[in-house]
Amino acid sequence: MSLLTENNRQYYEGAQGFRGDGTTTKFTTTFDTDLKWYAAERTDESYGKNNFKLYTSANGIPGSWSEVVADYTVSGNTIEFTTAPVDDLYIVVQLKKLDGGEYGNNTTEKAFGSIVEDNYGSYAYTELNDVINNFLVAYVGAGKLIPSVKRSDIIFHAKRAMQEFSYDTLKSVNSQELTVPHNLSVVLPQDYVNYVNFYWVDDQGVQHVIMPTNNLTSSPYSVPLQDDQGVPTQDNFDNNITGTSIIEDRWNSNYMKDNVIDDTIAGWEYYYGWPEFGYGQLFGLDTQYANSNGYFTINDREGKISFSANLVDKIVIFEYISDGLSTNLKTKVPKLAEEAMYAYISHAVIASRINQPEYIVQRLKREASAKLRNAKIRLSNLKINEIVQVMRGKSKWIKH
Amino acid sequence: MAINVDTVYKTVLLILNKEQRGYITPDEFNKTATQVQLDIFEQYFDDLNQQLRVPQADFDYADRQMNIDEKISYFKVQGNCDYNTTGSYWNLPTTAVGNLNLNIIYDNSPLGNGEAYFYRLGTVTYIPLTGYPVELQRLQRSDFYTIDKSPLTRPTEDFPCYLYEGNRLLIKPTSISSGSTVEASMIRKPLDINWAFQANGPGGSYIWDSSNSQNFELEQSEQVNVILRILQYSGIVIRDPQVIQAASAEVAQNEANKKG
Repeated sequence: MSLLTENNRQYYEGAQGFRGDGTTTKFTTTFDTDLKWYAAERTDESYGKNNFKLYTSANGIPGSWSEVVADYTVSGNTIEFTTAPVDDLYIVVQLKKLDGGEYGNNTTEKAFGSIVEDNYGSYAYTELNDVINNFLVAYVGAGKLIPSVKRSDIIFHAKRAMQEFSYDTLKSVNSQELTVPHNLSVVLPQDYVNYVNFYWVDDQGVQHVIMPTNNLTSSPYSVPLQDDQGVPTQDNFDNNITGTSIIEDRWNSNYMKDNVIDDTIAGWEYYYGWPEFGYGQLFGLDTQYANSNGYFTINDREGKISFSANLVDKIVIFEYISDGLSTNLKTKVPKLAEEAMYAYISHAVIASRINQPEYIVQRLKREASAKLRNAKIRLSNLKINEIVQVMRGKSKWIKH
Repeated sequence: MAINVDTVYKTVLLILNKEQRGYITPDEFNKTATQVQLDIFEQYFDDLNQQLRVPQADFDYADRQMNIDEKISYFKVQGNCDYNTTGSYWNLPTTAVGNLNLNIIYDNSPLGNGEAYFYRLGTVTYIPLTGYPVELQRLQRSDFYTIDKSPLTRPTEDFPCYLYEGNRLLIKPTSISSGSTVEASMIRKPLDINWAFQANGPGGSYIWDSSNSQNFELEQSEQVNVILRILQYSGIVIRDPQVIQAASAEVAQNEANKKG
């Protein structure tokens, strides 16, 4: 059976057509995406939450379509009209699309959204739901290595696999484009687990790496107010009184504040970080600070990222990893890592079970490890012609 | 499918009456036959469990797991559960469809026509509006509470779970409630055996009344087993140890062949 269930029009255009026959009132869509329906009337505030729009036309000619905004309900993926559409009436369900689709006559009628685009490229992935179900079908049962197992155990191990793989195997690097405000701090993303890279972007759209402060400075986790003996003081509720960090204030108002990074050209000949203290200078260079692009630090106390003062008002790109589970079980697993996930779950189930022969546990452990390695290699996206292109510069000096 | 009750009764009488050993009345037969049917029926589940631990031959008619499941399958029924809004729980189906359309009885009230007693709960399934039916995971009460505490295992509509107590189903997540469709598959209890008769034969003898009788619901392949086991009980009824011994030896040998 083919794994592709959508036709070309459904995939590319995000639309599916039907014809009225004067008697049929129910029409069922077969998109990979389930219909989400909240209201039929445009005047209803929930109408905008629908993930599709419905159009009809008497002849199907462009410009003749009109949006249906009443007299229908949706149950599951089935649209039911109150009265049967007349014979030969053209009916189209248009999932929301960045360009609004082809059927609306104006911006009000067009189906603006990104439902269609969310589905593009989805064939490279499988849902975590499906991984769990596939595992239960293929690996669990009488006569198999796992005769029976609680489904919740499989769900747990599958989600843990998703988390572990997200940290170092899957291409689950998220990114945000942010502007550094005048308080030099931005809030950590909701699904943040760890950072990968920070860049500031110049007028040409070119990225420049921002480095962590390392030992230059840090943000204290707590800032208790002290009395003249150095002892933290308490409030009426017997809790420590906390203040603002002096360290952070000093860092935010240091010399870099007056040396905002040039927007057009950022090169080594321009100002390096802190010349007065010798950080990043040409002589006596400490390479970890040899960076003209500014610094960032993670402020765990406030759950924020703080940037050095020379990055104020700059556009920064923040790449970070999540654990792949921030949304729901529709979480996508790359097919290139699917086998590794089965192996991980198999090993986790057998290893946590009593009275299992150790050689079986070890066999599964090796299998899981080998398949994880395969997945990493596959997902690292090494292409021979790209490597060749990189290696053409092999005679150059390696500078870092 | 079913074993004819008249065939069994007459075979039993034939064997018992050899050498004028004795006779069992239709009432005695009905009671012992019902007992035997339940005895064999209950043993299916233990046998199935035993066979599930043994590798099977994937060969027609020789797969013991399949054979036992086939014997049980006659009693499998399925129905829709009803949601109790006040108590926020689901009642097991009161009507079920299987080889017969039956009303399922959960207490000890006498059975009427088209009724059968509930025996065991099988799979509980949630039918979402879109997508495929989802099997609910059965949990014990302790797990039912702890499963919610881990964000990784918390039940969802994709992977729901239930607690089964007092013929009620408590289902999580609670979004599966009024308006949702939940189905349950069950095993019903075999109907009681009845060799019905009319005493209008020659000399007032009993004539079998097929229309009011209830056949054995066990598979035809169990006929020998049924007769032997009824003979065991009949030997007790007529106080003849020889019958008991002979029948027991035959039953034991058959069992050994089945599971060896």
